[in-house]
Amino acid sequence: MPEDKIINLLQKADETAGVPAPVSINISTLRRRANRRRFVSIATPIAAAAAILIAVGLYGFTLRAAKTTHQQKIALLEMQIEQLQARAEATSNLVQEVLQNERKQQRLDELQAQLASIPDPLEEIQKQVDTTAFNLVYQADRMYRELNLKSSAIRTYKRVIELFPETHGAEVARERLSEIKNIKYKKDSKGDLLWKPQNVPSSC
Amino acid sequence: MVVMAEKIDDECLVKQFSQGDDSAFNRIVEQYSADIAVLTNRLLGWPGDVEDVVQDIFLAVFVGLKKFRCECSLKSWLFTITINKCRTYRYKQILWQRKTITKLRLRLPPNRPADGRLMDSETFNRVRRAVKAMPAKYREPIVLRYLQGLSINESSRILGISENVLQVRLNRARKRLRRELAELIEE
Repeated sequence: MPEDKIINLLQKADETAGVPAPVSINISTLRRRANRRRFVSIATPIAAAAAILIAVGLYGFTLRAAKTTHQQKIALLEMQIEQLQARAEATSNLVQEVLQNERKQQRLDELQAQLASIPDPLEEIQKQVDTTAFNLVYQADRMYRELNLKSSAIRTYKRVIELFPETHGAEVARERLSEIKNIKYKKDSKGDLLWKPQNVPSSC
Repeated sequence: MVVMAEKIDDECLVKQFSQGDDSAFNRIVEQYSADIAVLTNRLLGWPGDVEDVVQDIFLAVFVGLKKFRCECSLKSWLFTITINKCRTYRYKQILWQRKTITKLRLRLPPNRPADGRLMDSETFNRVRRAVKAMPAKYREPIVLRYLQGLSINESSRILGISENVLQVRLNRARKRLRRELAELIEE
């Protein structure tokens, strides 16, 4: 039977393999190993739990630290923003002030230009006085030369000297009066008609 | 009668060990270590050196002996532990082989010599390879039934399977070996 042959073959192989080397079992070694195994079986979960607790603790600590750092960063940024805002406000105020000053200066320049464009009233008056004195002298000249109104002319000359003594017209009037006087003296010395100016103040 | 006497003796040993008598365990070792070593050697495919596995088996016995309720014979209980430990050992070995297959090939133990033995080296190696290549569910019944010489009842109890299942597995294992070792059988 093939089954018997197989069994026979297996048994022969087993016999050929022989008996294994004797094994020495020491009970103290077994006890030590059992204790070690028990210790490992107890210690491993405890160590794992401790490791997990430490990891969780560290993670929490890191999280808190990160949170604190984050808050500190936010506070720092807020402070920087406040500083920047204050600086921006100061700069803005300065710019406003500068612009205001510029506007004031511009206005001042304009006013000064306007003021410069306004003629001096004294000069104007002086001009008017000069013009009036000149006109009066001119009138007196005409009266004396063209209309032969000698006395009116002398009166006008004297009036010019009286009213506008510091003007060029007054000087001219004085010259004219002296000329008239000279002419009168010349005529007097030649035996011509003696002419004496009337109503002429002694100061002239 | 002999079985009953053995059982009573085993119960006494277990009781003594439970009470803290280490000599009881020494007696168990003396009584069963050879059988366990032989069974381990057979289950692992006759590697020769089975000391580490046997040490592990007796460590498990040392730890679990106090829990032994004597519902079966101590020998059956020890054989069950042996089978379980051998399964674990083989499983670890397979995992290790997968990791370092190249190294393993270089470090394979030399084939057992057959000087003056019943079988030549080549035949022994073929049988050995065929037995080792079988899955545990076929190899274990073969070893228990044909090499250890246990009865169908005892083998099925040790393996934790029914007698019918054991018969089926034995039949399949034989077919498998017949196919693998056809040339040797015909000779």
